[in-house]
Amino acid sequence: MLRSYLPALVFLAIGGILALVFTYANTLLGPTPRKTVKATYEPYESGLPSEVKRTFRFGISFYMIAMLFLLFDVEVIFLFPVAVKLREFGTFAMYEAITFIGLLAVAFVYVWRRGALSWR
Amino acid sequence: MIAATGPHIDVEALSPLLALTGGGLVVLLVGLLRPRVVREVLVPLLALASLAAALGLAIWQWDADEEIIAGALRVDTLALAFTAFVIVAAAITVLLSWRAVAPREAAHGEYYAMLLVSAAGMSVLVQAQNLVSLFIGFELLSVPLYVLCASEMRRSSSLEAGLKYLIIGSVGSATLLYGLALIYGATGRTDFAAIADALNSVGGPVSDPLFLTGLALSVVGLAFKVSVAPFHQWTPDAYEGAPTPVTAFMATATKVAALGVIIRFFDVALINAQPDWAPALAALATITIVVGNVGAIGQTSVKRLLAWSSVAQAGYMLAGIVVGTQHGIEAVAFYLAAYLVMNMAAFAVVVARARETGLGDAIEALEGIGQSKPLLAWPMTIAMLGLAGIPGTAGFIGKFFLIDGAVDGDYAWLGIVIVVGSAVSLVYYLKVVAAMWMRPAPRSVPVLAGGAVDDPPADAPAGPRAAGGEVTLVAVGCAAGPVVFGVLPGPLFDIARDAAAAMSHLF
Repeated sequence: MLRSYLPALVFLAIGGILALVFTYANTLLGPTPRKTVKATYEPYESGLPSEVKRTFRFGISFYMIAMLFLLFDVEVIFLFPVAVKLREFGTFAMYEAITFIGLLAVAFVYVWRRGALSWR
Repeated sequence: MIAATGPHIDVEALSPLLALTGGGLVVLLVGLLRPRVVREVLVPLLALASLAAALGLAIWQWDADEEIIAGALRVDTLALAFTAFVIVAAAITVLLSWRAVAPREAAHGEYYAMLLVSAAGMSVLVQAQNLVSLFIGFELLSVPLYVLCASEMRRSSSLEAGLKYLIIGSVGSATLLYGLALIYGATGRTDFAAIADALNSVGGPVSDPLFLTGLALSVVGLAFKVSVAPFHQWTPDAYEGAPTPVTAFMATATKVAALGVIIRFFDVALINAQPDWAPALAALATITIVVGNVGAIGQTSVKRLLAWSSVAQAGYMLAGIVVGTQHGIEAVAFYLAAYLVMNMAAFAVVVARARETGLGDAIEALEGIGQSKPLLAWPMTIAMLGLAGIPGTAGFIGKFFLIDGAVDGDYAWLGIVIVVGSAVSLVYYLKVVAAMWMRPAPRSVPVLAGGAVDDPPADAPAGPRAAGGEVTLVAVGCAAGPVVFGVLPGPLFDIARDAAAAMSHLF
């Protein structure tokens, strides 16, 4: 029975080989520029230089903003279909929406009391 | 315009899950209140209350056997029994955390809310009968645990444990998800019963490389989660670094939930491909038993020792799943319950001694407590002997059932591996027992003054302090379990038989 795993192993091996080929084919086959300047290795040779470095730091407050954005963004996405079809579903959809808003309200109260809304 | 109707919601069957999630929300909000007594007393009490409610509702539902949420979850005796185990483990964790450092540093509301949500994820997991709800359950279980591991924020080893668990857990999740996706691709179905049908059909995808790759990847993903060797390397580090109550929860409840879902995934969805996965799982179980028992031998930290021992124990329990019989599942359910109380007793003693001595989880902290602290020494002794499988404890009966199940299902050699593994395990279990009863207590207890030690041992940030009555209570209460069920296994055996009866399609 274990013999039937052979195709699976072949599958994995081919997958691995393909990945390696695609990774290194460009280096091996691609043209090497004779004169290299710094911009040669940039993703885009023209336009604004991409300034973001590995050590780039940004305020943790942005993380909070992103979390709050998620909170309210998701709320809108899910409430929109309910708003459109509220009449057909009747009270059921209303209770569902209230439950959903209630859950989000818990999250909102939490981030508020934890001070995520005050910019530091 | 089509008249649409809302889906039927079976609130009764969902009630244990609702109690856990609702409790998590309430605890989170109450934890925001200012007064100290609210945070340190009311919040854990509310967590206990919601766990008690969930347990009561699970017991009230006991005879249920139905699908809920459009077939995503199944409420049957197997799910309810395993949910009850998880809830008991969570309640014990709340008691162990009562005076612990972790909730104070991570804020009480968040700590207990995450504990409850993690328990809810485990409950989803053991009820899952759909690839999607399986994955959701795993994530709901794991994400709070990553945070809980790192909840002693001022201790670098706790952060390290959380980070390691996060990275390895994510790798495991990704592997599992890829495997589930391939299984879906091969069979075209997500719910377990339909996958089983698809596999049963003539010329079905059983020998399809796509399906087998998916099967292999999901085995690997699940093995990461249950810490089955050779995917166990994160276990000792994460267990040692995490706050001890969280370690206790991870070692017991996570195992219950993950083994519960493995039972359902392999013995329902993939039962028709059993000849393909059984040898692989049996090999994994053997490696796990060997690696876990050998790894535990040289350990000087009791938490690391218990981590390795939990790896080995997972191997024993896998044997019950390999055979794919009701008998095997009965044995797994019985052993899980015994394993849960034995481990909880051991971890309670570790918590108590770490607080009393300031030695952390080193084995020296246990030396000589046979004379001075019999209420801690006896539970630890019973736990160690039970985990080793000495007759008179539930651990013996559980192992007996597991070996019986393995032999019954034509895996006699796996039974022999369990016996040999248990014999080897005596080396390190008895080392702990010997330290307690045969060594003198250390004369002077070093008090860790801040600054000198870069990374103080677990649970010892402030030198010796009182252990707290609730920890002793947990130790004694949990140690009573293996003895009672070792002498009178009847009640626990009935629960295990009920749980296995849910898998009525098996022999």
